[in-house]
Amino acid sequence: MAAATERFLHLARPLAHTNIGLQTNIAPLTVQIQPQAVLSILDHAVRRDVRENSQSTRVIGALVGTRSEDGTEVEVRSCFAIPHTEEEDQVEVDVEYQKNMLALVLKASPRESLLGWYTTSHELNSFSALIQNFFAAPDTGTFPHPAIHLTISTEPGKDIETRCYISAPVAVNAERAAESCLFIQVPHKMLYGDAEKSALEAVASARDVESRTAPLVSDIESLGRSIEQTIGLLDRVSEWVNGVLDEDVEPNNALAQYLMSALSLAPKVDASQIEHDFNNHIQDVLMVSYLANTIRTQIDLSQRLATANLVSNEKEEGKNDGEKGGQRGNKRGGRGGGRGGGQQREPREPREPREPTE
Amino acid sequence: MSTQSGVNLGSTVATPLSRPSRTVFEFDKMSEAPKDAPFQAVQIDALVILKIARHCSSTFPTVATGSLVGMDQNGTLEITNTFAFPTIDTSAADSHQNDASNLAAAAPRAKSNIAYQAEMIRHLKEVNVDANNVGWYTSATMGNFVTMAFIENQYFYQKDNDKTVALVYDTSRSSQGTLALKAYRLTNLFMNVYKEGKFTTESLQKSKLSFRDILQEYPLAVHNSHLLTSFLHQLPAPPAATEPKEPTSLSDLNNDRIKAPLYPSIDNLDLSIDPFLEKTCDLLLESIESHYVDLNNFQFYQRQLAREQTKITQWQAKRKAENAQRTLAKQPLLPEDEWQRLFKLPTEPSRLEGMLNAKQVEQYSKQVDGFTANISSKMFAVRENLLPQ
Repeated sequence: MAAATERFLHLARPLAHTNIGLQTNIAPLTVQIQPQAVLSILDHAVRRDVRENSQSTRVIGALVGTRSEDGTEVEVRSCFAIPHTEEEDQVEVDVEYQKNMLALVLKASPRESLLGWYTTSHELNSFSALIQNFFAAPDTGTFPHPAIHLTISTEPGKDIETRCYISAPVAVNAERAAESCLFIQVPHKMLYGDAEKSALEAVASARDVESRTAPLVSDIESLGRSIEQTIGLLDRVSEWVNGVLDEDVEPNNALAQYLMSALSLAPKVDASQIEHDFNNHIQDVLMVSYLANTIRTQIDLSQRLATANLVSNEKEEGKNDGEKGGQRGNKRGGRGGGRGGGQQREPREPREPREPTE
Repeated sequence: MSTQSGVNLGSTVATPLSRPSRTVFEFDKMSEAPKDAPFQAVQIDALVILKIARHCSSTFPTVATGSLVGMDQNGTLEITNTFAFPTIDTSAADSHQNDASNLAAAAPRAKSNIAYQAEMIRHLKEVNVDANNVGWYTSATMGNFVTMAFIENQYFYQKDNDKTVALVYDTSRSSQGTLALKAYRLTNLFMNVYKEGKFTTESLQKSKLSFRDILQEYPLAVHNSHLLTSFLHQLPAPPAATEPKEPTSLSDLNNDRIKAPLYPSIDNLDLSIDPFLEKTCDLLLESIESHYVDLNNFQFYQRQLAREQTKITQWQAKRKAENAQRTLAKQPLLPEDEWQRLFKLPTEPSRLEGMLNAKQVEQYSKQVDGFTANISSKMFAVRENLLPQ
């Protein structure tokens, strides 16, 4: 993953605040970010207020997620935006909004908690420190756990970079303690589970389209696409191998070794066995499909019979029997007897017990 | 953007002026043919897809539901954000599991959630998110979403605002490799019939409503912002067509493995989708079972009806004979229509359950078709691979 910083040497973790008694664990902190959180932040960055007089165009918001029991692993699951304004000499964060929104979010996902905050520029200034201290404070923030600060650069035309920090208090002097802290970068990685893979694929399908819009396709279409892609890759490899054989291309030991070990994974099987298994399996599959469609037809028919023919009872009835007789020879017709309302539904009855046995 | 309706929960977008005209418009449409949908297609933001996928898979197998916000523009309904509904606390009321899932399925129209939704939309509005409710989403397992709860939820949303849609995310099928997300809306015809609440044979004949006309599917397209496109280009992509640097040793290759691209995904080349087929068959059998129950109900009703009718005929014959005697004896005649008071005909059971079941069966068998197409092509590929000519 491009945004992951896996080769990260983490020498020491700063102790959060001064309360050493609470901080028993000095293991490094790892932050895992789920893609939906990043997408949320990017969406927020697109929807920011554009004002003439405001100095900065960054936006801020809170990170929500889960924390492992010992606090060394943090998973950012979602986030929400917080309105704020920044001017030359002051920053305003809507604290009330943050409180309400956090309550709302936690109501929907009670197992998660506030983790920290994000912003959309890499700049760390005294405002950052101020907000960081707010999020790390005991009453409004994540104390005793460190607050995480995630920065995502959203400059147009450049790569999107993510950085992750926690903070330690720095004592400049008593008056400025609130607006100063030491940011320490911590490793983080993007994490995407199997559940999101298919979603991400759909999202990524619109990547190279000019309109940035792509329709969601059916299973079989996407299968076709995957097969085409795989065939393309295989062709490329065999072209290379042929090139080596024809002495056009410089051979490479490592690549060949790799190919050998990959090819040796192919199972050795008996041709007749395969043929047999294949036939068995395909018959099963086609049978299921056939039965499913038969059931659909029957249910469809029963629905039609249920409502179709009350109006001209006599005539329709004859037609129905004929229709049914045509479809299946072995049907007995509707029972005799002149029960007005019940008549048209009688023909359904004899065939129903057959279905579950199919 | 056309004026959004004022009936949206928590929405304050609509101006007082736009409200009356909108109502008239809606009224007109209701009486028209079902063809005129208020929008032609649904466009969904990448963020929404991921949020839904995340939420639904985290609560699996319990049903997850949430609200969608967005706006409609030139015949396209744009869904730009979403949030989950709070889960119902099942541990507190240690009810039967069935009740719990029923509660979860009914969440979108629960009173507390309506308030939650209004509150959430009010907050989202402050950070420039589109503040119109445009529907709701639900999770499903192997397409088993056609239920009464689904219909009731969507009716609840659609009766106030025509431009709402229900997204169905199939958790089981999405884990197999391809995203299974669909957008549905109740047809206007069904809305009308449901409003009257009568699903007897007679009313269905009159309205010509069949199970095919309950839900209408809308084409879905995914949309990314510019910023997101830029981000996506940093994620693993298919190998470049240029010549790569040649590795010097095997461990070079192993250490620096190429990550599988997100698109086109290679996950759906996985060969084992038989369990899905099996599960669908189980569900299909369940449907048949419920069809059978429905049928029995109806037969019971018919027998009841027949019995009552025989009784009435008997009573009438008796009364007639009595009257004949009375005429002979020159006594005043007894009224002959008293049977209407004496006997009560049973009410016909609703046809809706049966229709939904039929729709569900159709959904399953379509799904089976899809699986079959997939699996048989994969199997032929495997055979060709293992048995070269």
